[in-house]
Amino acid sequence: MDKIIEVTGLTKAYGNVQAVRGLDFYVERGKLFAFLGPNGAGKSTTIDILCTILAPDGGEVRVDGHRLGKEDAAIRNTIGVVFQDHLLDPLLTVEENIRTRAGLYGMGGHQLQQAVQNAAQIADVTEFLRRPYGKLSGGQKRRADIARALVNTPQVLFLDEPTTGLDPQTRKGVWESIRALQRDTGLTVFLTTHYMEEAAEADYVIVIDHGEIAARGTPTALKAEYASDQLRLAPSDEPALLAALAAQGLSGTCVAGAVVVKLAATMDALAILQHVQDYIKGFEVLNGTMDDAFIGITGREIRE
Amino acid sequence: MKALLIRNLKVYFRDKASVFFSLLGVLIIFMLYLLFLGDVWISNLPGVPGARALMDSWIISGLLAVTSVTTVMGAFGTMVDDRAHKIIKDFDASPVSRSKIVAGYELSSFVVGTVMSLFALVLGELYIVARGGLWLSPAAMLTVVGLILLSALCNTALVSFVISFFKSQNAFSTASSLLGTLVGFLTGIYMPVGMMPDAVQVLIKVFPVSHAALLLRQTIMAVPLTQTFAGAPEAMRQSFESEMGIVFQWGGSPMSAATSLGILIGASLLFYGLSILQFSRKSR
Repeated sequence: MDKIIEVTGLTKAYGNVQAVRGLDFYVERGKLFAFLGPNGAGKSTTIDILCTILAPDGGEVRVDGHRLGKEDAAIRNTIGVVFQDHLLDPLLTVEENIRTRAGLYGMGGHQLQQAVQNAAQIADVTEFLRRPYGKLSGGQKRRADIARALVNTPQVLFLDEPTTGLDPQTRKGVWESIRALQRDTGLTVFLTTHYMEEAAEADYVIVIDHGEIAARGTPTALKAEYASDQLRLAPSDEPALLAALAAQGLSGTCVAGAVVVKLAATMDALAILQHVQDYIKGFEVLNGTMDDAFIGITGREIRE
Repeated sequence: MKALLIRNLKVYFRDKASVFFSLLGVLIIFMLYLLFLGDVWISNLPGVPGARALMDSWIISGLLAVTSVTTVMGAFGTMVDDRAHKIIKDFDASPVSRSKIVAGYELSSFVVGTVMSLFALVLGELYIVARGGLWLSPAAMLTVVGLILLSALCNTALVSFVISFFKSQNAFSTASSLLGTLVGFLTGIYMPVGMMPDAVQVLIKVFPVSHAALLLRQTIMAVPLTQTFAGAPEAMRQSFESEMGIVFQWGGSPMSAATSLGILIGASLLFYGLSILQFSRKSR
């Protein structure tokens, strides 16, 4: 397996507050990797360390084979970062912004021109290249941020909550660009997010809480492990239905006229339905969501 | 570093309001001079031939010194803004070292200070000539350009050191308006040096910017001084020169131009060194 990011025993404290407590994980090349966690879980601290902005207290990090703390310049050439805040210059046009940032990678002349055009095309900002960054809408700004992050044709693209603060439609658009980018270019994408539907589309998810890894796996595996499916029954005879369930050793909870039974496995629904079919008018099986999994893992809802 | 230099210059010059505000102190002094200060000073020189031309070149010399300080300070505002808006994170995640980032700010501030001073020099010359004064000779012009470069260098070092103590935008803007006001006094523009109490005079004489003002006065006022004091006793010219901050007296004898030049160069080196110390202490 080709590990593009390898993290071992990563720790970081701010004074007495231990922000990251011994993280161990790796990221496979070419995958969409989601880092999920409540506010203050240590997501941004971890991303800042991986991007060479923040020095860790302990542990070892390798990005594309380069060791953090020893080969930071090589790491910086390998990565592109989209920060949570919009960090381009508001009075300069998108093109000027991308050009000046491209210069930071030692590019010049034709190569720079080519790199700016490529990045602009991939991030879909060609339409507003000549508009001042500060005058753009939230979604356009985010695209410009992504274009800037792509200007050095990075191996890994870090995105720190790229869709936070955007309206739902724009968020969807930006998210689809990120997905398409990762699919089409084979770029490794390392993402932190608040949004479960985004994490659900990742290839691999790590949930961190209190600076530690609380769970890890593919979204399907996490849902299977931490989020139970539900069988919702519409009773024709509620007391009889509850009695029939009790006879099977199951307990049902009444929610808004329906009786809800938690399932250990989706297929269990078949057997239950056979036993109670005389007392119901209808039923539905609801799959566990990433939201349920998140609550199951951290014991609380994610805050936006 | 070239990329950062260009970026910093674009960011500074694109913000018309901040360019205007970094020139505001200079504009206020000039307006005051036009409205009444000039007349007050000239009325103190009754019957002196060419008093108007003399005072015109005096004020323009002082304004050049102040322009350099306030525009360098304004240009350094980009660095403070970048820290406040976390734009610095973007540079930190790029393959440029911290020292190159700092050097980028310093270099762009130096360029801004130089360009704006040269711009002020052109306007000042136009003003002097429009009022019936004479153009500077090519040699004097070259000297002035050299002094502009040196004073931009010294101010860059000085502001770079001062700014290393400020973290917030508020602290910076307070400090820059304070300095913008103080500098008019410290270079003896609002009030000629000779009119200040002794303690303040000492302060002025150790402030590097006032030596830039002094050297500029010596160069720009050379011809008007000769014309005005052509038939007058030498003592009269000397007392005028000390009074107006054209020559500083130190311990009873006049300071040479070489001493002032030395002070400017020495201050540049000293403050540049101190600011490097400050930044390296911080980045650890």
